[in-house]
Amino acid sequence: MSWDAQYRAGTLLSNANSAPKARSRRNAATLDDSDDERPNPRTNDSDRDVVMAPPSFELEDEETPLQKLMRHWMNERHAPDILPAQDELLASLLDHIRRQSEAVQLLRGEPSTSEEDHIRIMLVQTEVERVKFIVRSYVRTRLFKIEKFARFIMSNPEIQTRITTAERAHASRHANLTDKHFHFSVLQSLPETQSHLDDTPIFMPPMVTQPDESVPVFVHALRECGPIHFPDGSSLNKMTPGYISLMPFASAKALLNRGDVELV
Amino acid sequence: MSHDRRVLMSLPPSLRTSVTPTELELIASQQLIEIIPLIAMEKTAFISGAYGPLRPPHRAKIPIWMAVNLKLKKKCHIIAPHWLNVEFLQARLNEETTETGFSRLPFRFSEISKVLLDVASDDIPDAEKIRSVLKDLCEARQAKSREGLANLDQGEFSLPNFCSMEINEVRPFFVQSMAILQQLYRESGET
Repeated sequence: MSWDAQYRAGTLLSNANSAPKARSRRNAATLDDSDDERPNPRTNDSDRDVVMAPPSFELEDEETPLQKLMRHWMNERHAPDILPAQDELLASLLDHIRRQSEAVQLLRGEPSTSEEDHIRIMLVQTEVERVKFIVRSYVRTRLFKIEKFARFIMSNPEIQTRITTAERAHASRHANLTDKHFHFSVLQSLPETQSHLDDTPIFMPPMVTQPDESVPVFVHALRECGPIHFPDGSSLNKMTPGYISLMPFASAKALLNRGDVELV
Repeated sequence: MSHDRRVLMSLPPSLRTSVTPTELELIASQQLIEIIPLIAMEKTAFISGAYGPLRPPHRAKIPIWMAVNLKLKKKCHIIAPHWLNVEFLQARLNEETTETGFSRLPFRFSEISKVLLDVASDDIPDAEKIRSVLKDLCEARQAKSREGLANLDQGEFSLPNFCSMEINEVRPFFVQSMAILQQLYRESGET
């Protein structure tokens, strides 16, 4: 992945590797100089020019993996339903966290750390903590929904395609435990016709919690998209980037899964 | 062990319906900002990208969280974004009070201005005046969003130029109002 290429191009690891420090410093310095010659050195872009050669990257999107995760994190926080799992993205970021932490450990082990190195280590660690916070909050948000809808998940094959194997296993255990608990504490003493959680007595709401897709969400358009249809029969021809609107989740769902919009 | 258990806990109830302003600040702090570094640092690979080199007194672009971190250690001066000055904000405030729609501001202006004014008010010219204009601006916009609520319907409610923090403030009320309208329509349709 081009991201890894960019990552390797950074100097943190090359310093931490067994290569003599002075040499890698000089290498880094030459790389820096070439940057400085640019009339308008925008560090990030110039770096991309050098390493991220594949044009497909430009076309796809310019989001970094971290920005992607932040978007999915917020989407997940605002969506009433469980969104498709981002296990690959999550795995690559966890891997990245691990490599950064290892690099920091190596740098720390060196006896002659300068003030500059201290600040670098501090910044890298701060970022690792930031990313960990987001990863944790994202996973916990999904966990909350999985526990809430556990029984529904086990009876619905479609929603199971959106969750990871580990999440499915957790849903299954959670559903079993609550089933048993309800059975032994209440249901077993009720008449046969009322002793199941999936009974559907008339005039009563179902007892198995399902995601409510009519919940309104705030949508922020990332690119031009549409048309969008609303439950009341009206529709919107197109949304331009930056368009902000409150609409039922059901209407935004398809756009959200395509990445045309984000929830804010 | 205790660490693992923390990860396995589901989201606390207080965070289930909305996000907190602090979380929004965390997101906004990923945006890049210009600084004048007071220390040198080679180009370094971070998870969010490669930043640097820092060479005083040359300007560099780094994420806001990093700038805040360095600023707190007195290792950089922060250069205010082009919109964070009295002139620009006063113009928006004038628009806000004379025109009907919301004026155009950066989507996360509220978070970013708070973070920057908190730690770098000495780098931002007229910080006090900016604070007071921002306050008036926010109040003018809040008043508008309350008026706008009258147009809320069950289908779709568009809010051009509404900003991240403002959305978060009105979320519980707007979402619930729309849900009630939906219910009313559903029930009137049934009878």
